Order: sequence, then C-alpha cells, then structure tokens
Amino acid sequence: MKVTIETIEYIANLSKLKFDTDEKEAFAKEFESILTHFENIQNEDLEKAKFSLMDNTVGTLRKDEIKTFENRKELFQNAKEIKDGCIVIPRILE
Amino acid sequence: MKKIIEMSIEEIKEAYAMKTLKVSQVLEAYFDQIKKYDDKIKAFISLREEEAIKEAKILDEHLEKGELSGLLAGIPVAVKDNISTKDLKTTCASKMLEDYQPPYDATIVKKLKAAGAIIIGKTNMDEFAMGSSTENSAMFTTKNPWDYSKVPGGSSGGSAAALAAGFAPLTIGSDTGGSIRQPASFCSVVGLKPSYHRVSRFGLIAFASSLDQIGPFTRTIKDSALALKVLQGKDPLDDTSKESSNIDYFESIDQPIYKMKIGVPKEFLSEGLDSEIKENIVKTMEELRKLGAQVEEFSLPISDAGLSAYYIISSAEASSNLARYDGIRYGYRPEDYKDTDDLMLKARTEGFGKEVKRRIMLGTYTLSSGYYDAYYNKAMKFRSKITDTFKKAFETYDVILSPTSPILPFGIGEKTSDPLEMYLADIYTVNINVAGLPALAMPSGFSKDGLPMGIQLIGDHFDESKLFQVGNHLEKKIKVKDIFPKLEVK
Repeated sequence: MKVTIETIEYIANLSKLKFDTDEKEAFAKEFESILTHFENIQNEDLEKAKFSLMDNTVGTLRKDEIKTFENRKELFQNAKEIKDGCIVIPRILE
Repeated sequence: MKKIIEMSIEEIKEAYAMKTLKVSQVLEAYFDQIKKYDDKIKAFISLREEEAIKEAKILDEHLEKGELSGLLAGIPVAVKDNISTKDLKTTCASKMLEDYQPPYDATIVKKLKAAGAIIIGKTNMDEFAMGSSTENSAMFTTKNPWDYSKVPGGSSGGSAAALAAGFAPLTIGSDTGGSIRQPASFCSVVGLKPSYHRVSRFGLIAFASSLDQIGPFTRTIKDSALALKVLQGKDPLDDTSKESSNIDYFESIDQPIYKMKIGVPKEFLSEGLDSEIKENIVKTMEELRKLGAQVEEFSLPISDAGLSAYYIISSAEASSNLARYDGIRYGYRPEDYKDTDDLMLKARTEGFGKEVKRRIMLGTYTLSSGYYDAYYNKAMKFRSKITDTFKKAFETYDVILSPTSPILPFGIGEKTSDPLEMYLADIYTVNINVAGLPALAMPSGFSKDGLPMGIQLIGDHFDESKLFQVGNHLEKKIKVKDIFPKLEVK
C-alpha cells in the first residue's frame, strides 16, 4: 500500500503534531513498511471471532459522598502560570 | 558473609532478623555502589539519598527494639520513572514531563512504603515506555551492566540494569508488551509481568491501558513472589484491579513439579531465533524433564499476526492516552505561541520524542475513519482469538515455556534506524499482554560472548503460583543467579 505525504499531513493534523518535509517523507516510508507488515492480520480467519471486550470486569459504583480536597495547592503545582486560582492560557475570545 | 549488594531480599531480611545488618548499612552499601558505577551505567533519572538515609535510621530504631515489621521492611527499592511518586519528579523520560511533580503516590508506591520499603530513586526508561532499549529516553541511554556497549533492553531498562548492577535488591517496572521481561533477560535478572487485573495501575502514567501492568525485578524467584504479594490487590482507584490478597505463593513454591505438563510453542522456535538462544531453550527443556516435568512442543499459531494486533491496539490506546498532553495544565510549555491551538501544537511537537510521535501517528491512523475496520476492528477480533488460543493451550499445559527475546542484547545504536526491526524483536512477549496473561522472565545462561540469555514462563490467568513453582526449581538447576557482572568505572 502507498502512504502519501497528504495522508501523513492529515494524520498529523488529527494528532496535533507538526512535521517538516523531511520528517513527513521519513514517516511515509516507515508507515508503508509497518502497515505492510500489519497486513498479515488480514489473512486471519476472523469470521467467528468477536470484538474483544473486557467483559469479565464488573464496574463498581462508589457512594456519592462529598470529600474535601485539602491540598489544592499541590493540584496546581505543575501549572506554569496561575492567576487568581486559575491556570493562565492564551486569550481565546476576542 | 556475602556482599550486601549481591544479596537477595530474603537474605537481607534474614540478616535483619539475626541483627547482623542494620538498615542504614544496607542503604549505604547500595548508594556507594550507585555513586561508583551509575555515572557509567546511567540507570537512574533521580535519586533521593538524604530522605532514604533518614528513613533507614528510623527503621534501625525499630530494628533495635525488635519491632521491624512489614514484608519489605528496610528493603531499598528503585521505581521506574512512569510510576507517580509524590515529592519526587516523575518524568516518563520525556521532555514533556521533565519537571512534572505528581501530587500523589501511585497505589503500588503506597503499598511499597506501607510494607516498609525505602524508595531510593527513579529509573530510566524509553520515553512513555515506548521502546525496547532505553534509547528512546529523552534523558540518556542506560548501558547494559554486562557489556557497556549493549542496550539493557526496554522499556524498563533502567530498573533491570539497576538490579543487575547491584544498585537495589528490588526494582519496579511496567510491562505493556514485554517491557519488564525483555530487559530482565538482557540483564540476567528475574522479571515478572503479573496477570492483567492483578496489580493496580493507579498512578502508572498510561501508555496502553488494556495492556499495561506493573511488576517487580528481583534476583530470585522467591523475591519475585514476595514482591508480588506486596504489590497485588484490589484498589478502589483502579476498577480493573481485582482482589488477590488471600493468595500465598509460598505454599506451593517448593512443591515438586513432576506432575506438571509444560508446552513449548514450536512457532516460537522457528525462523528468526538466535541459534544460541535456541540451544539454550532446548537445554532448559532438558532440565525441566530432569525435574520430572513432562515437556513437549505444540502449535500456537498466533505470533506473527499477534505482533501486528499488539502494535495496532497499543498505538491506538497510546494516541488516545497521550492526547492529554496539551501544555495547558502541566507538562512542557513552549516559549512563544500565538493562540491555544498553536500552544498545543508546539507543546506536543517540541515535547514528544520521535518514537512517541510515531506511535501517536500510527494509533491515530489505525483509528481514523476509513481505516478503523481494516486495522483496529480486526486487531480487537484477533485479540479474542489469541485469548481463546491460549485458553485452549492451558487446558493441556500447566505452563508454557518460550524464549523471551529472539535476539541477544544488541549494540547501542544498532537498531535505531528501522522501527519495524525493533518492533519485530518483541514477537515472544507481546501476545501475553494481548491475552492478559502472567509471565515470568528468568536468567537461563550466557552466550559464548558472555551476554545474558533468558527464558519466559507463561501461565494461565491468575496462575502466577505455577510460574513461581517451576521457576524456583529451575533456578536451582540453572545456577546463574549468583553470577554477577564485573563492573568497570571507566
């Protein structure tokens, strides 16, 4: 199968990643060899196989109780800029 | 007496019980070893010496009074840098999380601390656990203690190398497609990937949530069983974890294995397997027969397409899990940006390394409209087939034996140019994660050039007991656990 530069650009856009021309070309080449290898899965007889679900796991609900979160400061310790208890981001409304 | 840094957890615990060693003495011995050799090996991303020594002193007071309690009391432990530690940076070996300080401990870190273990530092890995050599670390590449020109394996290469180099008697890793077992074999240590559901993943920075499991690196099989006892159990913070606190692996670990049936998938011994590793497996099969087990080859025709299914599923989950890194709340933030969109684009483009981007791209591709049916849907169907195939095999066999890696530890830089070649080397380990099974990697000898080789024992779901039992007997027969690498400062 042929992986085009346009496909790489489309996927990069969905992934929120940016690549220069050389990187795009390298990706197209690598993708081609990886996806060609993946084609071995097409030869498998999966007619009767069902989509794998983690159906042996039972979801559990906890009680809806109010708990006070003490260390608010720690929760924000990794944000780059804080103003009035909020994380600063670029302006999104004009 | 044996050197402290060569002792097993069991031996250190005995020395504490006899009061022939103090906790601070043990800590000092390991930190001395780290200071002497880690400049060269580079297993650690961060160390916490001062706090660890303080904790050791407190434990020594307990020891003095005969009140040292906890399954891992006074045992130094190093943790892979994708497992959250409060007050200690958790970088995932990525520029994206270079200065990330988790506000909480992972559940397994809490468990280690509650058992009395002392965290001594965080170990190097492939960025976001994606890779098989630590060469994808944004920090540095860890060297194999047995041969500095070789990789230690990955992604938990720092944890495996740290154990082999005598930097700790217990280290913790994570395994999504072989990331504990392959480095364990490359560094000649014991590495366990527990059954999916066995150990809580809360606080483990996610790569592929349906495949990730946390597990220990140890010198011996018994230490591995002890570590699992500490790590396992239901966690309300991880709904996929299940209760297993009533299991005692030590009840059966010394029982003979002469009634056991051990299967070796013949597909795992075919084309592509290094001839010395093949010879080693045949020898291991003989040893198991001498122990009275019934060993035979059988067909498990899943490995090739299984590798594809693994890379499709893991990359798909990674592309979704890593969407959270947007440079807003935490993580790398670029210097200049026009607007939020530009901020996110630059944060991700500058913050992620090449392999991480490749997996995000691959995952996004296989999930995208038009390709979903051909890739992700097929892979998830094949996943059921893999699980069923293993289930059927375990109706006949107690344990499955296989090599861990088709190749010996390779040279640093040798395989970085072709990603597919690197992926293909995961052929024996990935299917185990896809099926959610437990597997134990253990040392099984050395190549003519002195490079470590390892085998993998695979068990049915939640059947770690049998792995420990077979491993324990094999360990006594193979006799490589007391061979240590000769480290050089140069």
